[in-house]
Amino acid sequence: MERAVPHAVPLGQMEVFQTLQRLHMTIFSQSVSPCGKFLAAGNNYGQIAVFSLSAALSSEAKEESKKPVVTFQAHDGPVYSMVSTDRHLLSAGDGEVKAWLWAEILKKGCKELWRRQPPYRTSLEVPEINALLLVPKENSLILAGGDCQLHAMDLETGAFTRALRGHTDYIHCLALRERSPEVLSGGEDGAVRLWDLRTAKEVQTIEVYKHEECSRPHNGRWIGCLATDSDWMVCGGGPALTLWHLRSSTPTTIFPMRAPQKHVTFYQDLILSAGQGRCVNQWQLSGELKAQVPGSSPGLLSLSLNQQPAAPECKVLTAAGNSCRVDVFTNLGYRAFSLSF
Amino acid sequence: MSSESSKKRKPKVIRSDGAPAEGKRNRSDTEQEGKYYSEEAEVDLRDPGRDYELYKYTCQELQRLMAEIQDLKSRGGKDVAVEIEDRRIQSCVHFMTLKKLNRLAHIRLKKGRDQTHEAKQKVDAYHLQLQNLLYEVMHLQKEITKCLEFKSKHEEIDLVSLEEFYKEAPPDISKAEVTMGDPHQQTLARLDWELEQRKRLAEKYRECLSNKEKILKEIEVKKEYLSSLQPRLNSIMQASLPVQEYLFMPFDQAHKQYETARHLPPPLYVLFVQATAYGQACDKTLSVAIEGSVDEAKALFKPPEDSQDDESDSDAEEEQTTKRRRPTLGVQLDDKRKEMLKRHPLSVMLDLKCKDDSVLHLTFYYLMNLNIMTVKAKVTTATELITPISAGDLLSPDSVLSCLYPGDHGKKTPNPANQYQFDKVGILTLRDYVLDLGHPYLWVQKLGGLHFPKEQPQHTVIADHSLSASHMETTMKLLKTRVQSRLALHKQFASLEHGIVPVTSDCQYLFPAKVVSRLVKWVTIAHEDYMELHFTKDIVEAGLAGDTNLYYMALVERGTAKLQAAVVLNPGYSSIPPIFQLCLNWKGEKTNSNDDNIRAMESEVNVCYKELCGPRPSHQLLTNQLQRLCVLLDVYLETESHDDSVEGPKEFPQEKMCLRLFRGPSRMKPFKYNHPQGFFSHR
Repeated sequence: MERAVPHAVPLGQMEVFQTLQRLHMTIFSQSVSPCGKFLAAGNNYGQIAVFSLSAALSSEAKEESKKPVVTFQAHDGPVYSMVSTDRHLLSAGDGEVKAWLWAEILKKGCKELWRRQPPYRTSLEVPEINALLLVPKENSLILAGGDCQLHAMDLETGAFTRALRGHTDYIHCLALRERSPEVLSGGEDGAVRLWDLRTAKEVQTIEVYKHEECSRPHNGRWIGCLATDSDWMVCGGGPALTLWHLRSSTPTTIFPMRAPQKHVTFYQDLILSAGQGRCVNQWQLSGELKAQVPGSSPGLLSLSLNQQPAAPECKVLTAAGNSCRVDVFTNLGYRAFSLSF
Repeated sequence: MSSESSKKRKPKVIRSDGAPAEGKRNRSDTEQEGKYYSEEAEVDLRDPGRDYELYKYTCQELQRLMAEIQDLKSRGGKDVAVEIEDRRIQSCVHFMTLKKLNRLAHIRLKKGRDQTHEAKQKVDAYHLQLQNLLYEVMHLQKEITKCLEFKSKHEEIDLVSLEEFYKEAPPDISKAEVTMGDPHQQTLARLDWELEQRKRLAEKYRECLSNKEKILKEIEVKKEYLSSLQPRLNSIMQASLPVQEYLFMPFDQAHKQYETARHLPPPLYVLFVQATAYGQACDKTLSVAIEGSVDEAKALFKPPEDSQDDESDSDAEEEQTTKRRRPTLGVQLDDKRKEMLKRHPLSVMLDLKCKDDSVLHLTFYYLMNLNIMTVKAKVTTATELITPISAGDLLSPDSVLSCLYPGDHGKKTPNPANQYQFDKVGILTLRDYVLDLGHPYLWVQKLGGLHFPKEQPQHTVIADHSLSASHMETTMKLLKTRVQSRLALHKQFASLEHGIVPVTSDCQYLFPAKVVSRLVKWVTIAHEDYMELHFTKDIVEAGLAGDTNLYYMALVERGTAKLQAAVVLNPGYSSIPPIFQLCLNWKGEKTNSNDDNIRAMESEVNVCYKELCGPRPSHQLLTNQLQRLCVLLDVYLETESHDDSVEGPKEFPQEKMCLRLFRGPSRMKPFKYNHPQGFFSHR
């Protein structure tokens, strides 16, 4: 197949450097604003870009609408995780969590509202924070990452209330089980652990790699993604993407996806997953692949569903990963367009 | 009857006054003496009225007699004849009367005419007199008016005004007492004074003329003196040449250069002037010279008649030689092309000497019909260079100066007006002729002061000194950096082809002491081959792989692992970094599309290149990148997690000190080397 080769533009040093940066950019995290109209994305250079979803989705959208409204340097290291409260955007990467006001974030030169660092044991290397989880009932934030612990931080006071230890290797992902409330964490050590927040104790452990149906030793044992729906949990990573029944700790459905998955979420009656490979996969609970929608990045790391009630016209699925682009799916059937850093 | 005829006298016409009348009186006197019957005298006596009555009566009688004769004749008889005879005789008598009357009438007529004539003559004479007199009067009047209008010449002279006259004129001329009263005398006096003044001035004028002659002569003398001085000065300068050389002050040489420079076309002249100025002021390593034939340059400006003669001669010659074969259309077009691409016979040579004694020779040409400048480059080094195979293009004259400024590839003519000229002679692009004519880079035009604005093509572009001056320093610096970086690469390539990555001692700190992966291959690949590789598509799509770049393939090996690296070397190395794209063959094929760590390795080399630049002028960038690639491969292979299901030890035991093996959601390997502690960590 002959491709039209783009004409090589005469590039000065600055342009070449910027092009190379964009080629090697990875977007790790996304978060939707409380009004539902904006999407923040964090990349491996520590930058956060805020896109206007309403402008990009409107009928007069031009090429500039697909560019960020504002981009700023948030962290020194990559921004691995972001969540939004009803007023703040919380971002975390290299050992610190910072808060930004959504109302202020569109202005140039925005400064963080506050920054906190959980108490780490080691001082040789600052561990990264891979996952942030909001617990609305307690108004607290759970952080987990490189130091193999879950830290709970009270959002009002900013104090670190608890540290949950149990993982033997760093933690990849967190999920909240609303009912109890319990927190699930998946880590590099291949185990999914359930923690009770009130007692600060580990309630249940599922070592996924020990189950033959889903383990894939050649990929490793690490758990890259977690999602839970009270009684059910789906997790994936090195082992295959599997649906578990939590009370009995048994794998009920194994999704036949060879590539390791990096992000999984429940949506209506489907399970959406994405990982190595271009596509966003849609699974039925029975384990059948309903659809595979290709995106524009060679690998995906994060999915975000904009379900904010305030902006129903911006109800889209956005996917980002190993590129400088965020794919926007207006309906789950195809990729509508891509926002770009 | 005879008496009648003798009585007839033909009246003679009187032609003039007087004289014939006298002649006639003489005759009439003689006639009177002979007692002739003068009918003229009788005329005076008879009364014309009565003669007229007589005439009428005679006519009636004749008519009556004729009528009676008619009657008698018609009656006939014997008596008739006698009566007819009687009446005949009567009619004859009447006829005679008529004749006399006729004569008298003629005579009267004649007399009347004569009298009229005389009177007329008199009147005419008076008339003539009157005319003469009138004419004289008129003439005299004219004369009078002429006299009255006469302007004497003296009134045309602008005389000095009265007051001045009385002031200045000496009293013997002005004679105030006389002249005051008498305007005539006054005027005379004034004229006198005028004459006096003029004489004096004429005198002065003669004096001045003679002075001028004298001075002219003096000037001539001095000129000769000076012109005799010139050859002497020349001989002194000639004699001083060895002294100049001895003291390293080649004034004479510079002077000769300036002489030749006068024949340079304007852009080359601007370049020459600016380069010389720059060389003298800022950069002693720059030397400027002019090459080419001055005579040919002068020949370009021959006056048109000469050249037409030459043309006709040459045409005649041409006709003779090509009578047999008419030149084909292609040959004619070829000639036209050659004509269009003609170079000016003079060219400017710049020699830039670099620190390591290598020299960049630049020869600048001017294409007269296209109004652009081109340059040919050559690099010579102090020591002979053995060119490694992969370094073939680095110093080639065609590409060594490519893209000195971003995008300035020198394959297209910078003058937009040239396109129309090319269309006429069928030249598609200047690219085909670039090897022969030199490259028309944009910076070359700027150095020659030629500015071609992209918006509107101008008809005439004049060479501008300020444009040249503003670009001179930057361009010279860029040229030097370019040559030195190319030479450095040249040396490095020689080493790379032997599998050794030459890392200088001041860059050693960037890498751990022990590097196991080895570079086994370093070759050039063609642009098309690069585009065909499956793992370079991102770079191609981003527009970073143009045809002005140089492409290489490096192969790094360790054990069973083979890492292919496709390298894009931008002509603007080392300010623009080389770009690496990797493909690892070890337990399957891993590229940046299916392995995040390969992507991270590429990022380490491409994006974090600034750490690898080394000390300025950062010629070590490429070699440092290659060395880092080897280190990255080491880390990658050693930190690969062991697959529990496969039996046997790890192929690559971990020797590198790492704090953590994986970090972050993408499970990155620790690629960052920390100096001097010597361990690997994550960015």
